[in-house]
Amino acid sequence: MVALRSVDLSVKPGEIHALLGANGAGKSTLVKILSGVYRPNAGTIRVNGSDVTLGNPASARNAGLATVFQDPALVPDLTVGENLRLTGADEEGVARWLDHMSLGDVDFDALVGDLPLPMLRLLDLARALSWRPSLLMLDEITAALTADQAEQVFSVMEEWRDEGRSVLFITHRLGEVMRICDRATVLRDGVNVAEVAPSDVGESGLVEAMLGEVVKSVPTVSSDLTAISAAPVVFSTSDLRSGNQVNGVSLDLHAGEVLGIAALEGQGQDRLFALLSGDRRPDSGQISVNGEPMVARSPFDAVRKGVVLVPSDRLQALLPQRPIRENLAAPLYNRVSRWFGLVADEKERVQSAVTRLSIDTRAAKQVNRLSGGNQQKVVVGRWLATGFRVLLCFDPTRGIDVGTKQQIYELLRELADDGAAILLYTSELAEIPLVCDRVLVLYGGEIVAEQEAAKATEESLLTAAHGIGEEEVA
Amino acid sequence: MTTVRGNVRQGFDWQRALKRHGWTAGAWLLLIALIVFYATLIPRFGAFQIASIAKNSMPLIFVSIAQAIIVIAGGIDLGVGALLIFSNAMAARMMDGQSLGMSLVIAALVIVACAALNGLVGWIITVSRVPDIVVTLATLFIISGFALIILPSPGGGTNEGFRAIFTGSTTGTGTNFWPSLAAMAIPMGLAAYFMRRTRVGLSLYATGSNPMAAYLSAVDTARAKIVSYAIGGGFAALAGLAALAITGSGESRFATASNFTLRSVAAIVLGGVALTGGIGSVVGAAAAGIVLFTLSPLLSAMGVDPNTAQVIQGVLIVLVMMVAGIIHLRRERAG
Repeated sequence: MVALRSVDLSVKPGEIHALLGANGAGKSTLVKILSGVYRPNAGTIRVNGSDVTLGNPASARNAGLATVFQDPALVPDLTVGENLRLTGADEEGVARWLDHMSLGDVDFDALVGDLPLPMLRLLDLARALSWRPSLLMLDEITAALTADQAEQVFSVMEEWRDEGRSVLFITHRLGEVMRICDRATVLRDGVNVAEVAPSDVGESGLVEAMLGEVVKSVPTVSSDLTAISAAPVVFSTSDLRSGNQVNGVSLDLHAGEVLGIAALEGQGQDRLFALLSGDRRPDSGQISVNGEPMVARSPFDAVRKGVVLVPSDRLQALLPQRPIRENLAAPLYNRVSRWFGLVADEKERVQSAVTRLSIDTRAAKQVNRLSGGNQQKVVVGRWLATGFRVLLCFDPTRGIDVGTKQQIYELLRELADDGAAILLYTSELAEIPLVCDRVLVLYGGEIVAEQEAAKATEESLLTAAHGIGEEEVA
Repeated sequence: MTTVRGNVRQGFDWQRALKRHGWTAGAWLLLIALIVFYATLIPRFGAFQIASIAKNSMPLIFVSIAQAIIVIAGGIDLGVGALLIFSNAMAARMMDGQSLGMSLVIAALVIVACAALNGLVGWIITVSRVPDIVVTLATLFIISGFALIILPSPGGGTNEGFRAIFTGSTTGTGTNFWPSLAAMAIPMGLAAYFMRRTRVGLSLYATGSNPMAAYLSAVDTARAKIVSYAIGGGFAALAGLAALAITGSGESRFATASNFTLRSVAAIVLGGVALTGGIGSVVGAAAAGIVLFTLSPLLSAMGVDPNTAQVIQGVLIVLVMMVAGIIHLRRERAG
């Protein structure tokens, strides 16, 4: 497989340069080449005018190229301080940058594995900055960050630019590109197809360049809230509590509804979804499916009740080395008949899921060869093949490109229109009006606001998510 | 401890220390409990018994440290037992009739040779990408074979002074336990310092914990693996030298090699080293090595039949793992 065919990319000093492209366009491969992880088959890399050969990550760093990868390059079983010592980073310098991002209270004796992901991203960023590279490459750094954390990163990037240094910024969030990037290079199928100034072409122009065709903007959902509230309640919780993370959550999910959950990072959404999907047992409170209490000892019990989860980490849900077909059919294997042979309708079920989701099956032998978007489709497709009542989606579009995202949202809408009940947590607030009927705002493990999704704006949600909005019941 | 800024929690964080070093501390407490229990079982417990446990457990301690270092870096070495008899055979052959000075030179050479040999094994693993367990299963046979070629029947010898360094007496038996304790503690302390306080040592933890993250943060993971095997080889050689000092002559038996290999794996598991790499300490593994050794005199003092003793050793490992699992689960529930 050829991931990159021919790419010309030049980043000027004192510039924030966006690298854009749909899933599978070759962005990650390019970043890995520029950080010394992969070697190119041909071509040259020049830093400050002189040719460099990058044999491994250390040589890239010495050449003045530092990268913050999607998965933080920090070792989980060592402390923060040990991680810094391991790489010979300047601890004082890192501490200064952390202070700069309002993270001055990071405990250097804490184990990295005990820290939350957003913190690790910022820590990795601070370490990269402390090497004072000529070019800083940020691969999807804002994906797991809350809005305020992203702001901190932007101000650091701007400061970096003002020092005459450069940033290569890879993101799927076009709003961020418009806001902060001076120029953008767009990749499509491993070739650079455009180099533009975002302010000249606008968001739609960027999307057009990425997809190679004009896409209609997604309309906001026009939902009939009276019809939805008249529909039966399929899934509900009452006064659900767990540790100090979930403090009395009660919600009703109607048939045919997409109910959004909006929250800043760390407001108990992880734990809430763990409770709902049967991964953990609540300390108190009740979960009901079709009016019957659900007591799940494991996700298996929840799946049997028809409550299924689509997590943000695709690889957590998939069997990476197995083919698409087996991944889609995995839950079917529980049926007794499978122990002796195929489930009678396995093939049809799988095929209809593949067709419905237009999954790219070229890499059918191992799902880990699929792009992130296609992997996520396989996860959703699995539940389509199995059948379900309640679909729990936890940030299903994290790190997925615009086109695929749209397909996933259209799919969720279709499923809801067919009568499924969907609970959706997303870290991208702007997407809530595009797919949800109602939205609940979670803050400190409690639901603090409910809004009509079509009327909700990023601003109104953000205000509520900080726990300061007045309640606005739709 | 490095505290870079002022607003870090003041004072000693007991909870965190317990969470991080609990297993190592537990292994030492278990050891102390066993020895106290042993002392109540036999009519006279004194310097002789302490000396006996200290010196006789040494080969297993060093092999366990070797295995711990390699497993922490993400590998596993089934050949450590073979390196033990190989070093034992070489040293017994060469030291026979030599002066103390010459014996020490030979000891150093044997350690360096075994470290280089096992470093080569690590290099083969990184280059060929054949799983560690397969390559080292082969080296278990190959190196044991070399040992048998060097010393086909028990024999050879060593210098009396050399014996005293490890055992505290020129005959290998006595009541002076301090030299044995020092001979056990100094290499263990050096290994612990190297692993946790030097950059190379940290790179071994990093490589075992998450090789991709380590590689991306510019750690040379191939070098880390080779270094772990080389140092492990050195410790396995030290185990063979200790065995020579204890018995006064060499012996190559394949059963000894395979037995030590298996017990080293048991010891590190009991000592809190995760077989998946990146977690655990050489100090915990060393304590568990002494525990495993002490069980046999203890059980025989209790009048347990030696065959039953084997069963009890196995049950102990399973019990410890179960207790650890339950503690982990409860901690997760509470968190």
